[in-house]
Amino acid sequence: MRCHIRIRSALRSGTLLCFAWFMLFVGCERPALSPNGVVGVFGSLGLGDGDFHYPRAIAAEPNGSVFVADKTGRIQRFSADGAFELSWHMPEYEKGMPVGMSLHPDGRLFVADTHYHRVMVFDRDGNQLAAFGELGMGPGQFQLPTDIAFDAEGNIYVGEYTENDRITKWSPDLEFVQVIGGDPIEDKRLNRPAGVIVDDEQTLWVADACNHRLLRFTLDGELLMAVGHFGNAPGEMRYPYDLCLAPDKTILVCEYLGNRLQWFSKDGRSLRIWGVSGREVGQIFDPWGATYGPGGRIYVVDSLNNRVQIVRP
Amino acid sequence: MTLALSLPFSFEEPTWLWLVLLVPVLIPASLRSLAGLDPVRRVFSLITRSVLIILLAACLAGVEHVKRNRDLTVMVLMDRSHSVQMLEDVQEEYLREISKDIPPNDKLGVISFARNAYLEQLPMRGGYHIPPDRLSQIPDIDRSDIASAMRLAMAMFPHDTAKRVVLLTDGNDNMGDVLTEARRAKADGIPVDVVPLWYEHKNEIYIDRLLAPTYAEEGEQVPLRMVIKSERRASGTLSLYHNGEQVPMAPEDAHVELQPGGNTFFSKLTARSTGDQRYEVYFRPDDETMDAVSINNKASAFSFVQTSSNVLLVTMDRLFDLPLARALESENIRVDVKTVDELEQFDLLRMMSYSTIVLANIPANVFTDQQHEQLARYVKDTGSGLIMLGGDEAFGAGGWIGTPIEDVMPVSFEIKHKRVIPRGALVLIMHSCEVPRGNYYGKEMAKKSVDTISSRDYIGVLAYSFSPGGNTWEVPFGLNTNKAAVKSRIDRMQIGDMPDFASTMRMAYKELTSGKGKDAAQKHVIILSDGDAAPPPPKLLDDYKKAKITVSTIAIGWGGHVMTRTMQDIAKKTGGKFYAARSPRALPQIFVKESKIVRRPLIVDEPFQPQIVQAANELLSGLDYNEQVPRLGGMVLTSPKPNPNVQMPIVRATKDGNDPVLAHWQCELGKTVAFTSGYWPRWGEHWTVWPKFAKFWAQVVRWTMRQEAPANFDVYSKIDGDRGRIVVDALDKDASFLNFLQLQTRLVGPDNRTAPLQFYQTGPGHYEAEFSVEKAGEYLAAVQVYESGRSRGTIRTGLTVPFSPEYRELGTNEALLRRIQEITGGRWLELAEGPREHDVFRHDLPPAEAKKPVWDWMLAWLILPLFLFDVSVRRLASWLALSIVVEALLIVVLLVGFEMRFTWWGVLGVFVLAELIGWTMRWRYIGPLFDYLTHTVTALATTGERSRTALEQLKDTRERLREDLEEQRAEALRRLAGSADAEVPGIDRTRRFDVGDQRAKEEVGDLTEALGGARAGETYKERRRAPAPATKDEGEGESATERLLKAKRRAQRDMKKED
Repeated sequence: MRCHIRIRSALRSGTLLCFAWFMLFVGCERPALSPNGVVGVFGSLGLGDGDFHYPRAIAAEPNGSVFVADKTGRIQRFSADGAFELSWHMPEYEKGMPVGMSLHPDGRLFVADTHYHRVMVFDRDGNQLAAFGELGMGPGQFQLPTDIAFDAEGNIYVGEYTENDRITKWSPDLEFVQVIGGDPIEDKRLNRPAGVIVDDEQTLWVADACNHRLLRFTLDGELLMAVGHFGNAPGEMRYPYDLCLAPDKTILVCEYLGNRLQWFSKDGRSLRIWGVSGREVGQIFDPWGATYGPGGRIYVVDSLNNRVQIVRP
Repeated sequence: MTLALSLPFSFEEPTWLWLVLLVPVLIPASLRSLAGLDPVRRVFSLITRSVLIILLAACLAGVEHVKRNRDLTVMVLMDRSHSVQMLEDVQEEYLREISKDIPPNDKLGVISFARNAYLEQLPMRGGYHIPPDRLSQIPDIDRSDIASAMRLAMAMFPHDTAKRVVLLTDGNDNMGDVLTEARRAKADGIPVDVVPLWYEHKNEIYIDRLLAPTYAEEGEQVPLRMVIKSERRASGTLSLYHNGEQVPMAPEDAHVELQPGGNTFFSKLTARSTGDQRYEVYFRPDDETMDAVSINNKASAFSFVQTSSNVLLVTMDRLFDLPLARALESENIRVDVKTVDELEQFDLLRMMSYSTIVLANIPANVFTDQQHEQLARYVKDTGSGLIMLGGDEAFGAGGWIGTPIEDVMPVSFEIKHKRVIPRGALVLIMHSCEVPRGNYYGKEMAKKSVDTISSRDYIGVLAYSFSPGGNTWEVPFGLNTNKAAVKSRIDRMQIGDMPDFASTMRMAYKELTSGKGKDAAQKHVIILSDGDAAPPPPKLLDDYKKAKITVSTIAIGWGGHVMTRTMQDIAKKTGGKFYAARSPRALPQIFVKESKIVRRPLIVDEPFQPQIVQAANELLSGLDYNEQVPRLGGMVLTSPKPNPNVQMPIVRATKDGNDPVLAHWQCELGKTVAFTSGYWPRWGEHWTVWPKFAKFWAQVVRWTMRQEAPANFDVYSKIDGDRGRIVVDALDKDASFLNFLQLQTRLVGPDNRTAPLQFYQTGPGHYEAEFSVEKAGEYLAAVQVYESGRSRGTIRTGLTVPFSPEYRELGTNEALLRRIQEITGGRWLELAEGPREHDVFRHDLPPAEAKKPVWDWMLAWLILPLFLFDVSVRRLASWLALSIVVEALLIVVLLVGFEMRFTWWGVLGVFVLAELIGWTMRWRYIGPLFDYLTHTVTALATTGERSRTALEQLKDTRERLREDLEEQRAEALRRLAGSADAEVPGIDRTRRFDVGDQRAKEEVGDLTEALGGARAGETYKERRRAPAPATKDEGEGESATERLLKAKRRAQRDMKKED
C-alpha cells in the first residue's frame, strides 16, 4: 500500500512537472508581448530593409501585406507578421516625404506625396500607375495633401492642409468633382484634416487634427456631425492623425499627441481606448497612423519609436 | 582566452574574495554549534551558510554582471577630400563589396571626411544602405582631417559590440593630429585597418609662391617674383591681378614656357593707392592634360602701402557721420569713410591697413562671426585701435552682447548692477524642418540668440518635444542668467514634428502675458519653421497684437519646400518680420538681428548732462572739471568692466550710480574706446556745434592709433615648404644695425587662431621667426618692437598661403598610413587584393563587455532570502512549516527578484516550481493527505450508519451506568438496613458517567474511529503499525510520569524505525 502511494505521488508530481515545463517553454499559444495585447513588433531605427526612420503612413491589405512609408522617402511592404518583402523609393523626396496613404479596394496604393502636392498611385509592387494634382489652391490642385479615402462608387477623397484646409472629391477617373469642408464648421475652419475615411454607410469621416475633432459628412459634403475637442478624457482627442474603419464598423482614431487609439461609435460615442505613451512594447510614441490589417489585427505606426506594433483587437 | 574572460561576471575589488576562505573554517565550527539539529537540517544549514559567505564576499568585491557580445561594428572612414575625389566611386564600390554576406548582427557605419567629418550612415545591420549617388555633398573638400573622422567614429561606436575602424584615404592629412587619435583608438582596443588609396599625379603644374615686399610707398614700383613648378615641360599663360583688377601684360610676357622643376618670373606693379595691396597670379596651361589639379594654379601676396594715421570710419549712413569725418580731417587725421555695404573683403588684412577703426552706431549683425573674431584679433594682437560709438544700434542694443567685441571693449554690454532695468523677453518656437540638417541649424541659431540677449532678459524655447506630452518648454521660460546651462539644454533638445503653431504660440502668450514675462518691456517671439504646421487662428494673432508681442518668422528650407504664406501672415499681423532663409549662411545675422529686439530697454532716450569725472584723463587734455561737455539726448546703458585699466572720464550721473559715457582701456596690445551716446541730431545736436568737437575726437582717435615702426626696418616673409619665415632687418636712422631688440608678436592664422611667434637674432640687426603654414589663407602679424623696454612701434607683416597643402600633394602619403596601422595594430589592406579577401567583418577581436553592478540585487534577492532560509532551517521544527517558508521565499524571489511576474506563464511556472519543491520537502504529508481525502469520501458515504451505531453504543453505555448506579444504591440500602452505624454512601457525582479508564478508552477510541479519524495523538502511520493497545497490566501500578516517559521512548523508537 505504502509503495503504491509513493508511486502514485511520484507519478502525480511528474505529470505536474511536465505540465509546468510545457507551459513554460512550449506554451498553449503565442503569448502577448505586453499586457495590453501587442502580439508583434517590427522595425527599428535604420536605413536597411525592414528598418524605419520615422515611419509616418501605413496601409494594409485586408488579407495580404502591410505598406509603411517613412522619412527616408521609402515605401516598404511587409508580410502580415512584419517580414520585409520589398521596398521602393518615391520618385522625388528631397523636399519632404509622404504622410498618408490608402489602399484602393482594387488593390492600388494611393500615396499622398505631401511635400510635392500630388497623389501618386502605385501597384502593390511599387510600379507607378498614375499621379494627379499640382501645387495650388484652386480646383484640382493640392497644398500638402494628407490622406486619401474611397467610396463605394470609386470616388476619391483627398485631405489637404496649410492655408487651404479642405477635402477634395475626385471621380474614379481622377477628375476633380467638388470641395468638401471648405467652410467653417462651428466657427472653425478645418485645420489639418489629417485622416479621411468613408464608412460602410457611405459617409465621410474626417480627423480635423488641429481642432481635435471628428467630422462626419455625407458624400456630397453636407455636415452630419462634429464631435470631440482637445482633452484626455474619453470622447476627447489630442491631434487625431489617422482614421480607420474597424471590422465592427466603429471608427478607429489614432491620436498623435494623445498617444492612444480611440474607437468611436457612429453616433460619436467613445467606446474604447488603447495605448499609453512610452518606449516599451505596448507603449506608443507620437503615432502617425493605425490601421486594421490582415487577420483583423491592428497595425500601429509607432513613429518616434521607429517601429510598427501589431495589436490583437 | 582565459577562463576569467568567459565568466559571466567580474569583480571590482577581487581582494575581498579572500573572505571565501572563511568557509572551510566555518564548517567545523558550525558542526559543533549545529549539533542539536538532525543531520539533514545540519547539511542544509551548512550549505546555506557557506553559500551566504561566498555571496557576501562577492558583494563586497563589487560583483558585476558581464554581458559579452561577439558582434562587431565596423566604421568605415571615407576620404572625400579633393586629392582623392576621383576615387569616390572606388570607395563606394568597396563598401558595397564588403557589405555582402556580413554576419547578420554585425553593424556597418560610414563616415565621410574632408575638412570636417560627417556621418553618412549610423552603425546598422545589413551593411551599406546608401543608394547610389546619395552620398551627402560635403563642403570644404580642400582639406583632409583624418583625426576628426576618427573622433566621430569613436563617438558613434555602440558600446556593446567589438569595434574596428577601416580607413580609406590617401593619407594626406593636413589638419588635426591623427596620430594622437590613433593612440587613443589603440587605448580603446580599436584597430584601424588602413586601405590606402593610391594615386600619383605625373603631369602637374602649380605655383609654388608669389613674393611681394611687405611695405611699399605710394606710387612706388612693387617688384613681384613668382615661382611655378612643373613636372614636365609645358607652356601656358600667366595673368596677374592687382587689387582685383587684371593687370594688362604684353602677350610675350604673359605666355611662358616651363621647364621641369622651378621656373621663376618677375613683374613690377605700381602701388596706386594706400592701404593693403593684394596681388594674385594665375597660370593656365596650354595643354590641360599637362595639369592634373587646376586649383593650385594660383598664388597671392600682399603689401602694405604706408600712410600716417589712417582711420576707417564705418557708418550706416555717410551723412550722419560726416561731422566726425570732417572734424578728424581738420585735425590732419586721414579718414576713410565707408558704409557697411562698401566694406568689400573686410578681413584682418584689410583691417590692418588702418591704425584705428571707428564703428559708428553699427549693429552686430552686419558683420559675420568671423569678422567679429577678426576685429577682436585686430585689437588684441595687432595693437590697433577700435572705437565704438553709441546709438540705438550699438552696444547691447545692437546685439553685440556675447561677441568677441564685447571682450575687447572697456565696458560690458550687460547691466550688472542692481538697478531696475526693464527686461526683455524672448521666446523661440522651433519646428522640425524637413530639409537636411535643418534642426541642427535651428539649434545653433537658438544658442546664438541666448548669447545675443542679456543675462537679465527672459528666454524660453518651445518645441514639439520628443518626450511624451508634445509641445513643451524645452528651455523653461526664465532668466537667461546661466547662458551655458540654457545652451546645453538647447543642445539636448530634440525637435519633433509640431502639428500646429497655435498650441506653442498659446503657451508663449501665456508666459508673456500672465507668467514670469508679464513685466517685460519688450516681448518678442521668433518662430523657426519650414511652415508646414497648421496656421494659428486669427484671434490669437489679435491677442498677440494687443499684448504688443511681436512675432518674427523665419522660414527655413534651402531648395526644399517652404510654405511661406502662414509665416508671412503671422509676422505681418503681429508686427514682426518675415525672413525666408534660403541658405544656412543667412541664419546667424537674422537671429542676431531678431534677438536684439528684446534689448531695446537698454536705450535711455532722455536728455542728460554728461559729467566729467577725470579731467586729468589723457583723452580729455584741454578740458577741465569746470568745463562742461555739451548735453546729450540719450545713450545706451553699459557697465564698466571691473578692471583697474578701465578709465571712465565722462559719465551720466544717476542716483543709482554712474553710467559710462566715455570709457577706454588698453586691451592686450590694442586700445579701445566706448562712447555710449552719439553726436548725430537725435542725441548729439549740441555736440557738433561744440567748439572743441574736433579736438576732442582727434584726441580720442589718436590715443587709440597703432604706432608704426620707423621706416628703416626692412621686413620680408617667405614660405619654404610647410614653413613660413619672417625676416626683419633693423637699422637706425644712421643706417647702423640695431641689436638686442625685443620683437614680440602673435601670429594670426587663417582660422583666426593665434600663436606666439618667437624671433631670434641671427646676425647684426637681423631677426628671424619661423612658423608652420598648414592652412591656406593669410598669416598676419603685427610685430611690436621694443628697445631696452621702450616701444619703437609696430611692424605689420604676413604672408599668404595660396592653396591648401591638399592641392600640393602629388601622391599617397604611405608613411603616415603605415604609422596609423602600426600604432593601432590594424592591418594593411590593398584595394587590389579584392575587398572580399579583406574580410573586415572577421571576428578576431575580444568580445565587447557591458558590465552592470549587481551586488545590490544580490543582497536583496539572494543573501536576504538565504539568510531567512538558514534561520528557518534551524528554528522551524516542523517540516511542514519549513516547506511553506521555502515556498514563500521562492515565490517572492522569483516573481520580484528575477522579474518573472510580467508574463502569465512566468507566474504560473514560478508557482508550479515552488509547489514542487514545497511538496518534495513535505513528501510525508502526500500520503496522509491523499488518504485523508479518500477516507473522507468513504467516511462521508457511511456517515449515517456509523452515527447510528455510535449513538446506540452511547445509549448502551448510559444504560449500563444507570444499572451500576442503581446497584450501588441498592447495595447501600441493604447495608443500611443491616447496620444502622454503617455509613450511607452518597451518590458520587464525579463518577456519574465514569465507566472506568479502560472502558472509557475503548469506547472513545471506537467513537473516534467510528467517525473516520485517527486516534488522538497518533499519526496515520503510527496507527497502522502501532503495537497492540497497552494491556491493563502495563499501566497498572505506574505513575503518570513513568507512563509518559515510556510513551515518549516508544514514539522515538517508532520514529527511528521509520527513518
